[in-house]
Amino acid sequence: MPSWRRLGLVLAIVLSGTVIGAAASLNLTSSTLGANRLATPRCTAANLSVLQNLSGSNVASVTVSGLPAACGGGTLQAAVNNGTANSTGSAAVPAGGGSVIVTLAATVPVSEAAETDIVVVGP
Amino acid sequence: MIGRRVAAAALLVGVLIGAGFVTGRAASISLTSQTLTPYRTCTLTATPAAATVQIDTTARQGSATTNFGTLTTLTVSSASAANQRTYLRFDLTRCSPAIPATAIIRLATLRLFVSALPAVCRTVDLFRSTATWTEAGLTWNNQPFGAAINNPATASRTGTFDVGTPVGCQNRTANAYVVGGTVTTDVAAFVAGSSTNFGWMLRDDAEGSATARTTTFSAKNLGTAAQGPQLVITYVAFP
Repeated sequence: MPSWRRLGLVLAIVLSGTVIGAAASLNLTSSTLGANRLATPRCTAANLSVLQNLSGSNVASVTVSGLPAACGGGTLQAAVNNGTANSTGSAAVPAGGGSVIVTLAATVPVSEAAETDIVVVGP
Repeated sequence: MIGRRVAAAALLVGVLIGAGFVTGRAASISLTSQTLTPYRTCTLTATPAAATVQIDTTARQGSATTNFGTLTTLTVSSASAANQRTYLRFDLTRCSPAIPATAIIRLATLRLFVSALPAVCRTVDLFRSTATWTEAGLTWNNQPFGAAINNPATASRTGTFDVGTPVGCQNRTANAYVVGGTVTTDVAAFVAGSSTNFGWMLRDDAEGSATARTTTFSAKNLGTAAQGPQLVITYVAFP
Protein backbone atom coordinates (compact mmCIF):
# COMPACT_ATOMS: atom_id res chain seq x y z
CA MET A 1 0.00 0.00 0.00
CA PRO A 2 1.43 3.39 -0.95
CA SER A 3 2.48 5.53 1.98
CA TRP A 4 0.06 8.34 1.23
CA ARG A 5 -2.82 5.84 1.28
CA ARG A 6 -1.70 4.44 4.62
CA LEU A 7 -1.39 7.96 5.94
CA GLY A 8 -5.01 8.71 5.04
CA LEU A 9 -6.28 5.56 6.72
CA VAL A 10 -4.29 6.18 9.85
CA LEU A 11 -5.54 9.74 10.00
CA ALA A 12 -9.15 8.59 9.65
CA ILE A 13 -8.76 5.96 12.36
CA VAL A 14 -7.10 8.36 14.75
CA LEU A 15 -9.79 10.98 14.29
CA SER A 16 -12.50 8.36 14.72
CA GLY A 17 -11.07 7.30 18.05
CA THR A 18 -10.89 10.86 19.23
CA VAL A 19 -14.48 11.46 18.32
CA ILE A 20 -15.75 8.45 20.21
CA GLY A 21 -13.87 9.50 23.30
CA ALA A 22 -15.10 13.06 23.21
CA ALA A 23 -18.72 12.21 22.56
CA ALA A 24 -18.83 9.97 25.59
CA SER A 25 -17.39 12.51 27.98
CA LEU A 26 -19.58 14.48 30.38
CA ASN A 27 -18.18 16.96 32.80
CA LEU A 28 -20.54 16.75 35.78
CA THR A 29 -19.13 18.10 39.00
CA SER A 30 -22.39 18.45 40.94
CA SER A 31 -23.37 15.59 43.19
CA THR A 32 -26.85 16.95 43.78
CA LEU A 33 -28.61 16.63 40.45
CA GLY A 34 -30.98 13.72 40.00
CA ALA A 35 -33.53 12.88 37.37
CA ASN A 36 -36.70 14.94 37.81
CA ARG A 37 -35.38 16.30 41.08
CA LEU A 38 -34.25 19.67 42.21
CA ALA A 39 -30.95 20.06 43.93
CA THR A 40 -30.95 19.02 47.56
CA PRO A 41 -28.10 21.00 49.00
CA ARG A 42 -26.97 21.63 52.51
CA CYS A 43 -29.49 24.37 53.33
CA THR A 44 -32.55 22.20 52.86
CA ALA A 45 -32.02 20.44 56.16
CA ALA A 46 -32.76 23.62 58.04
CA ASN A 47 -36.15 24.38 59.57
CA LEU A 48 -36.42 27.84 58.16
CA SER A 49 -39.01 30.19 59.58
CA VAL A 50 -40.57 32.44 56.96
CA LEU A 51 -42.78 35.20 58.29
CA GLN A 52 -44.48 38.04 56.52
CA ASN A 53 -43.99 41.58 57.80
CA LEU A 54 -46.93 43.83 57.24
CA SER A 55 -47.31 47.47 56.45
CA GLY A 56 -50.97 48.07 57.08
CA SER A 57 -52.74 45.29 55.23
CA ASN A 58 -49.85 44.63 52.87
CA VAL A 59 -46.85 42.37 53.02
CA ALA A 60 -43.83 44.66 52.79
CA SER A 61 -41.04 42.27 53.63
CA VAL A 62 -40.29 38.72 54.66
CA THR A 63 -38.19 37.62 57.60
CA VAL A 64 -36.37 34.36 57.09
CA SER A 65 -34.70 32.96 60.19
CA GLY A 66 -32.98 29.76 61.10
CA LEU A 67 -30.51 30.01 58.23
CA PRO A 68 -27.52 27.73 58.84
CA ALA A 69 -23.99 29.02 58.66
CA ALA A 70 -23.49 26.96 55.51
CA CYS A 71 -25.70 29.44 53.69
CA GLY A 72 -23.64 32.40 54.87
CA GLY A 73 -22.41 34.56 52.04
CA GLY A 74 -25.16 33.42 49.74
CA THR A 75 -27.99 35.48 48.37
CA LEU A 76 -31.49 34.78 49.59
CA GLN A 77 -34.17 35.46 47.03
CA ALA A 78 -37.82 35.61 48.06
CA ALA A 79 -40.97 35.81 46.02
CA VAL A 80 -44.40 36.41 47.53
CA ASN A 81 -47.51 35.56 45.56
CA ASN A 82 -51.04 35.97 46.90
CA GLY A 83 -52.75 34.66 43.80
CA THR A 84 -53.43 38.04 42.26
CA ALA A 85 -50.27 40.02 43.00
CA ASN A 86 -46.67 39.12 43.51
CA SER A 87 -43.34 40.69 44.26
CA THR A 88 -39.75 39.67 44.80
CA GLY A 89 -36.70 40.76 46.69
CA SER A 90 -33.28 39.54 47.71
CA ALA A 91 -30.78 40.02 50.48
CA ALA A 92 -27.38 38.74 51.46
CA VAL A 93 -27.18 35.98 54.06
CA PRO A 94 -24.82 36.90 56.94
CA ALA A 95 -21.60 34.95 57.14
CA GLY A 96 -22.76 33.01 60.17
CA GLY A 97 -26.29 32.45 58.91
CA GLY A 98 -29.15 33.55 61.18
CA SER A 99 -31.93 35.84 60.02
CA VAL A 100 -32.49 37.89 56.92
CA ILE A 101 -35.14 40.47 56.15
CA VAL A 102 -35.99 40.63 52.48
CA THR A 103 -37.73 43.81 51.43
CA LEU A 104 -40.08 43.29 48.53
CA ALA A 105 -39.88 45.49 45.47
CA ALA A 106 -43.60 46.20 45.89
CA THR A 107 -46.02 45.41 48.67
CA VAL A 108 -48.45 42.53 48.28
CA PRO A 109 -51.92 42.70 49.86
CA VAL A 110 -52.51 40.22 52.67
CA SER A 111 -54.73 37.39 51.54
CA GLU A 112 -56.18 34.22 53.01
CA ALA A 113 -53.48 32.18 51.32
CA ALA A 114 -50.13 33.39 50.10
CA GLU A 115 -47.11 31.53 48.82
CA THR A 116 -43.54 32.53 49.52
CA ASP A 117 -40.73 30.90 47.59
CA ILE A 118 -37.28 31.07 49.08
CA VAL A 119 -34.09 30.28 47.24
CA VAL A 120 -30.55 30.59 48.53
CA VAL A 121 -28.06 30.99 45.73
CA GLY A 122 -24.41 30.50 46.44
CA PRO A 123 -22.12 31.05 48.16
CA MET B 1 -5.54 7.44 -9.41
CA ILE B 2 -7.72 5.02 -7.48
CA GLY B 3 -5.38 5.19 -4.53
CA ARG B 4 -5.62 8.96 -4.47
CA ARG B 5 -9.41 8.74 -4.49
CA VAL B 6 -9.34 6.34 -1.58
CA ALA B 7 -7.01 8.62 0.29
CA ALA B 8 -9.22 11.60 -0.43
CA ALA B 9 -12.26 9.68 0.78
CA ALA B 10 -10.41 8.69 3.94
CA LEU B 11 -9.49 12.28 4.58
CA LEU B 12 -13.08 13.38 4.00
CA VAL B 13 -14.27 10.83 6.53
CA GLY B 14 -11.71 12.11 8.95
CA VAL B 15 -12.85 15.69 8.48
CA LEU B 16 -16.48 14.76 8.96
CA ILE B 17 -15.67 12.80 12.09
CA GLY B 18 -13.64 15.72 13.27
CA ALA B 19 -16.70 17.88 12.85
CA GLY B 20 -18.57 15.35 14.94
CA PHE B 21 -15.89 15.71 17.55
CA VAL B 22 -16.59 19.44 17.70
CA THR B 23 -20.32 18.79 17.95
CA GLY B 24 -19.72 16.34 20.75
CA ARG B 25 -17.74 18.88 22.66
CA ALA B 26 -20.49 21.45 22.29
CA ALA B 27 -22.99 19.03 23.82
CA SER B 28 -20.94 18.39 26.92
CA ILE B 29 -22.45 19.57 30.23
CA SER B 30 -20.69 21.35 32.99
CA LEU B 31 -22.70 21.80 36.20
CA THR B 32 -20.89 23.32 39.10
CA SER B 33 -23.63 24.93 41.24
CA GLN B 34 -24.86 22.89 44.17
CA THR B 35 -26.16 25.48 46.58
CA LEU B 36 -29.63 26.08 45.17
CA THR B 37 -32.11 25.78 48.01
CA PRO B 38 -35.77 25.51 47.01
CA TYR B 39 -38.11 26.32 49.89
CA ARG B 40 -41.78 27.05 49.70
CA THR B 41 -43.97 28.59 52.37
CA CYS B 42 -47.74 28.67 52.51
CA THR B 43 -49.09 31.35 54.80
CA LEU B 44 -52.76 31.02 55.70
CA THR B 45 -54.18 34.13 57.32
CA ALA B 46 -57.63 34.44 58.84
CA THR B 47 -58.51 37.73 57.25
CA PRO B 48 -60.87 39.39 56.50
CA ALA B 49 -63.61 38.56 58.97
CA ALA B 50 -65.50 36.73 56.24
CA ALA B 51 -62.52 34.57 55.40
CA THR B 52 -63.22 30.91 54.85
CA VAL B 53 -59.65 29.68 55.12
CA GLN B 54 -59.99 29.35 58.87
CA ILE B 55 -62.64 28.82 61.53
CA ASP B 56 -62.32 29.56 65.24
CA THR B 57 -64.42 29.71 68.36
CA THR B 58 -64.25 29.41 72.13
CA ALA B 59 -65.89 26.79 74.33
CA ARG B 60 -66.89 28.18 77.72
CA GLN B 61 -67.60 25.90 80.63
CA GLY B 62 -69.61 28.61 82.33
CA SER B 63 -71.99 28.79 79.35
CA ALA B 64 -71.79 25.17 78.40
CA THR B 65 -74.52 25.12 75.78
CA THR B 66 -73.79 28.46 74.14
CA ASN B 67 -71.81 28.92 70.96
CA PHE B 68 -69.33 31.82 70.75
CA GLY B 69 -68.26 31.50 67.14
CA THR B 70 -69.06 35.09 66.28
CA LEU B 71 -66.87 36.75 68.90
CA THR B 72 -63.88 38.85 67.92
CA THR B 73 -61.70 37.23 70.56
CA LEU B 74 -60.57 33.73 71.43
CA THR B 75 -59.93 32.76 75.02
CA VAL B 76 -57.98 30.21 76.97
CA SER B 77 -58.77 30.31 80.64
CA SER B 78 -58.24 28.27 83.76
CA ALA B 79 -60.88 29.00 86.36
CA SER B 80 -63.06 27.08 88.75
CA ALA B 81 -66.08 25.85 86.78
CA ALA B 82 -65.36 28.53 84.20
CA ASN B 83 -62.60 27.14 82.04
CA GLN B 84 -62.38 28.22 78.43
CA ARG B 85 -60.86 26.54 75.42
CA THR B 86 -60.05 27.78 71.94
CA TYR B 87 -60.74 25.75 68.84
CA LEU B 88 -59.41 26.64 65.42
CA ARG B 89 -58.88 24.98 62.09
CA PHE B 90 -57.14 26.04 58.88
CA ASP B 91 -58.05 24.74 55.46
CA LEU B 92 -54.75 23.46 54.10
CA THR B 93 -56.26 22.84 50.68
CA ARG B 94 -56.29 26.59 50.16
CA CYS B 95 -52.55 26.63 49.70
CA SER B 96 -51.74 27.40 46.10
CA PRO B 97 -49.96 25.56 44.67
CA ALA B 98 -51.22 22.66 46.74
CA ILE B 99 -48.75 21.10 49.13
CA PRO B 100 -47.86 17.70 47.67
CA ALA B 101 -48.57 14.73 49.92
CA THR B 102 -44.92 13.79 49.51
CA ALA B 103 -43.63 17.18 50.64
CA ILE B 104 -41.35 17.33 53.62
CA ILE B 105 -42.78 19.77 56.13
CA ARG B 106 -39.84 21.64 57.60
CA LEU B 107 -41.75 23.90 59.97
CA ALA B 108 -45.38 24.66 60.70
CA THR B 109 -46.21 27.43 63.12
CA LEU B 110 -49.55 28.40 64.56
CA ARG B 111 -49.52 32.13 65.21
CA LEU B 112 -52.05 33.81 67.48
CA PHE B 113 -52.10 37.47 68.35
CA VAL B 114 -52.27 37.97 72.12
CA SER B 115 -54.33 40.91 73.27
CA ALA B 116 -54.37 40.16 77.01
CA LEU B 117 -52.05 38.16 79.25
CA PRO B 118 -52.43 36.55 82.67
CA ALA B 119 -50.43 37.95 85.56
CA VAL B 120 -48.74 34.61 86.09
CA CYS B 121 -46.98 32.46 83.55
CA ARG B 122 -49.36 29.80 82.22
CA THR B 123 -48.73 26.94 79.86
CA VAL B 124 -51.09 26.66 76.92
CA ASP B 125 -51.29 23.19 75.38
CA LEU B 126 -52.22 22.41 71.79
CA PHE B 127 -54.09 19.22 71.02
CA ARG B 128 -54.91 17.88 67.59
CA SER B 129 -58.69 17.71 67.41
CA THR B 130 -59.91 14.18 66.92
CA ALA B 131 -63.35 14.92 65.50
CA THR B 132 -65.06 17.46 63.35
CA TRP B 133 -66.70 20.59 64.75
CA THR B 134 -68.18 23.79 63.38
CA GLU B 135 -67.61 27.43 64.15
CA ALA B 136 -71.31 28.07 64.60
CA GLY B 137 -72.12 24.90 66.47
CA LEU B 138 -69.37 24.12 68.95
CA THR B 139 -70.14 24.48 72.64
CA TRP B 140 -68.48 23.32 75.85
CA ASN B 141 -70.81 20.38 76.07
CA ASN B 142 -70.45 19.11 72.49
CA GLN B 143 -66.75 19.75 71.95
CA PRO B 144 -64.71 16.86 70.53
CA PHE B 145 -62.76 16.31 73.76
CA GLY B 146 -65.80 16.27 76.02
CA ALA B 147 -66.77 18.44 78.97
CA ALA B 148 -64.37 17.02 81.56
CA ILE B 149 -61.59 19.40 82.51
CA ASN B 150 -57.90 18.62 82.00
CA ASN B 151 -58.90 16.26 79.27
CA PRO B 152 -57.14 15.10 77.17
CA ALA B 153 -54.09 14.54 79.29
CA THR B 154 -51.12 16.84 78.94
CA ALA B 155 -49.03 13.95 77.64
CA SER B 156 -51.02 13.87 74.42
CA ARG B 157 -50.44 17.51 73.52
CA THR B 158 -48.69 18.13 70.22
CA GLY B 159 -47.54 21.65 70.95
CA THR B 160 -47.21 24.12 73.77
CA PHE B 161 -46.19 27.65 74.65
CA ASP B 162 -46.05 29.74 77.79
CA VAL B 163 -47.78 33.06 78.19
CA GLY B 164 -47.86 35.56 81.04
CA THR B 165 -46.26 38.77 82.21
CA PRO B 166 -43.61 37.46 84.66
CA VAL B 167 -39.96 37.63 83.69
CA GLY B 168 -38.87 34.37 82.12
CA CYS B 169 -42.19 33.55 80.57
CA GLN B 170 -41.95 32.72 76.87
CA ASN B 171 -44.57 35.26 75.73
CA ARG B 172 -44.64 38.28 78.02
CA THR B 173 -45.91 41.00 75.74
CA ALA B 174 -49.48 41.80 74.84
CA ASN B 175 -50.37 42.96 71.35
CA ALA B 176 -47.95 40.62 69.64
CA TYR B 177 -48.00 37.22 68.03
CA VAL B 178 -47.08 34.38 70.33
CA VAL B 179 -43.94 32.42 69.63
CA GLY B 180 -43.62 28.71 70.14
CA GLY B 181 -46.81 27.47 68.56
CA THR B 182 -45.04 24.76 66.60
CA VAL B 183 -47.32 22.19 64.99
CA THR B 184 -44.97 20.68 62.44
CA THR B 185 -45.77 17.07 63.26
CA ASP B 186 -49.51 17.64 63.03
CA VAL B 187 -49.35 19.46 59.72
CA ALA B 188 -47.04 16.82 58.28
CA ALA B 189 -49.64 14.20 59.20
CA PHE B 190 -52.42 16.26 57.63
CA VAL B 191 -50.47 16.73 54.41
CA ALA B 192 -49.42 13.10 54.18
CA GLY B 193 -52.97 11.97 54.80
CA SER B 194 -52.14 9.91 57.84
CA SER B 195 -54.33 12.13 60.00
CA THR B 196 -57.49 14.09 59.24
CA ASN B 197 -57.30 17.84 59.71
CA PHE B 198 -59.88 18.72 62.36
CA GLY B 199 -57.74 21.58 63.61
CA TRP B 200 -56.57 22.15 67.15
CA MET B 201 -57.87 22.75 70.64
CA LEU B 202 -55.96 25.01 73.00
CA ARG B 203 -56.43 24.74 76.73
CA ASP B 204 -54.63 25.76 79.88
CA ASP B 205 -52.30 23.01 81.03
CA ALA B 206 -53.94 23.01 84.46
CA GLU B 207 -57.62 23.80 84.19
CA GLY B 208 -59.64 24.57 87.29
CA SER B 209 -57.47 27.28 88.83
CA ALA B 210 -58.97 28.84 91.95
CA THR B 211 -57.99 32.22 90.56
CA ALA B 212 -59.01 32.82 86.98
CA ARG B 213 -56.03 32.90 84.60
CA THR B 214 -57.05 34.10 81.18
CA THR B 215 -55.28 34.67 77.89
CA THR B 216 -57.09 36.45 75.10
CA PHE B 217 -56.27 36.18 71.40
CA SER B 218 -57.62 38.05 68.40
CA ALA B 219 -60.14 36.03 66.41
CA LYS B 220 -60.82 35.98 62.71
CA ASN B 221 -64.01 37.94 63.33
CA LEU B 222 -61.97 40.93 64.45
CA GLY B 223 -61.19 41.41 60.79
CA THR B 224 -57.78 42.97 61.37
CA ALA B 225 -55.16 41.65 58.98
CA ALA B 226 -52.27 42.37 61.31
CA GLN B 227 -53.87 40.33 64.10
CA GLY B 228 -55.49 37.48 62.27
CA PRO B 229 -54.67 33.91 63.30
CA GLN B 230 -52.07 32.43 60.99
CA LEU B 231 -50.71 29.06 60.04
CA VAL B 232 -47.31 29.25 58.37
CA ILE B 233 -46.08 26.10 56.67
CA THR B 234 -42.58 25.86 55.24
CA TYR B 235 -41.83 22.80 53.18
CA VAL B 236 -39.65 21.29 50.51
CA ALA B 237 -41.66 20.00 47.61
CA PHE B 238 -38.93 17.99 45.92
CA PRO B 239 -36.52 16.72 48.52
